[in-house]
Amino acid sequence: MEPIIETRNLTRRFGGLVAVNEMNLAIERGEVRGLIGPNGSGKTTLINLISGVYEPTSGDVLFNGKSIAGWSPNRIANYGLLRSFQVPRLFGSMSVMENMLIARFADFRLDYRKDYDGATEKAQQLLEMAELDPLRDKPAKILSGGQKALLQIVRGFMVDNISVYLLDEPFAGVNVVVKETIMKVIEQMRQAGVTFLLVSHEMASVRRMCSRVTVMAQGARIAEGSMEEVAANPQVIDAYLGGKK
Amino acid sequence: MQKRWAHLKNANYLLAGLIVIGLAIAPAWLGDYAKHIVILSLYYVIMAASWNLLAGYTGQFSLAHQSFAALGGYASGLLILYFKVPLVVGFLAAIVTTMLTGYFLGRLVLKMRGIYLAVATWAFSESFRLTIAAAYTYTRGDQGLPVPPLFQSLNPIWYYYLFLALTVVLLLVMYLVLKSPIGSFLRAIKDDELAAMALGVDTVKWKLFIMTFASTIAGIAGFFYAHYIVILSPVMLSFNEIGKIVIMVVFGGLGTFVGPLIGAPVIVILSELMRDLAEWNMVFYSLCVIVIMRTYREGIASLARRVLERFGMRRKIALANDKPTP
Repeated sequence: MEPIIETRNLTRRFGGLVAVNEMNLAIERGEVRGLIGPNGSGKTTLINLISGVYEPTSGDVLFNGKSIAGWSPNRIANYGLLRSFQVPRLFGSMSVMENMLIARFADFRLDYRKDYDGATEKAQQLLEMAELDPLRDKPAKILSGGQKALLQIVRGFMVDNISVYLLDEPFAGVNVVVKETIMKVIEQMRQAGVTFLLVSHEMASVRRMCSRVTVMAQGARIAEGSMEEVAANPQVIDAYLGGKK
Repeated sequence: MQKRWAHLKNANYLLAGLIVIGLAIAPAWLGDYAKHIVILSLYYVIMAASWNLLAGYTGQFSLAHQSFAALGGYASGLLILYFKVPLVVGFLAAIVTTMLTGYFLGRLVLKMRGIYLAVATWAFSESFRLTIAAAYTYTRGDQGLPVPPLFQSLNPIWYYYLFLALTVVLLLVMYLVLKSPIGSFLRAIKDDELAAMALGVDTVKWKLFIMTFASTIAGIAGFFYAHYIVILSPVMLSFNEIGKIVIMVVFGGLGTFVGPLIGAPVIVILSELMRDLAEWNMVFYSLCVIVIMRTYREGIASLARRVLERFGMRRKIALANDKPTP
């Protein structure tokens, strides 16, 4: 089966620093793929490259078999590939519900009024799933860190044709209850057909959510397989603990 | 929650309707000078409200907005003076030139924010002012360019109703834009442009749209203003002019729809009251802005809303207390 997301020799240089180096990654449709690696290994840069925030220096990104390298982030999002940010980026002056609806109407059409009731209903269902519905009319800026993380994730599901969701450290700085809710939401959306790339330092969560894990170090892929396989890989142990010179 | 404020929203529509009716019947009691003050206020309401779309809603702190009003006026004035075109052609020229210039300025400053955008737009505005002043053989520079009036009659009542209708129409258009998803896109761009892009909002398109839209509105207002004051000079492009617009919006409430509607008439009236103080009135406005920024940053409109909400809450509690206990 053709992978839904594929990077081919993807490279990004910042001056003399090679942040992502000849990265090859293939994610199957319906998968929840883990992406782990020590700090500074290039995980977030990879997400930025796939989602269009950075243009690759060389190499290609394929989404559904089509090259999207160099596309703008909004064009990629309209095509069904969404991403979240490590530090939640919400529209603080807007209410929780407005944050949800903006994602639905981002691909602006003049007949948006036709979809308005349906979009509000969908937003309400997602907010209920994330247990944020009592806060729907509150300004997003007053939410707690965990609630912001949750809102940022469920907001992406408002995009009608979402098929891939890149989650950058979704469990960072959230309590156990919120973490459980995030995992529940991911699982429900995976069953609904969304493919995930999950960047996380939370090994227990990655082990629980992902059947396959990719490990990055110094901008390149050093291992791939089940959590047990990569945990036993000497290169991975070296990357995390520091190998012999 | 929405139902809770629904009565306030309906009250806003009612209040807006009453103000328009009040202004429509007011000339019966107003002298020519008072009518002139209302006309000036309406012009600045349009200018302040359209600048608010850029700075208040989108975070694009442009200092070139007054240039578009002047451009609208000069485009029409020059065509009528040198090519003897009818007024309607002057009007269309004002729209087209401000629309195109707004679009190109928007393209130019697309990747700029904050102080960089402010400086670049100020530089644009100053270049335009100096060009108008330097090309005096065509524009008559500081001597002023004569522009024909819209009406043969000297009675300001025609201008009064024209500006009232123009303000209502343009405010309605701006309101509809802000109530559509476009309004949310603009606020999203102001809050976090990258997050908006990551959700699929075409931020380039909407930033260009709002710059073009707001510039065109300023151009239309400038056209009518030019044909009302019948003489155009580079003073219309001075920094004081944009300073006044900024003060009106900040005083009323930056990023609120009602803010410029309150701020503009207040500042115009204060300006007329302090006419004898000449440049000192700008010092007074600046002090007003400092006080507002220090005490209530969201402006008079938000302060009034808070008071109304508090009053509404108290009334609700009072009504609840009046209910007989079971």
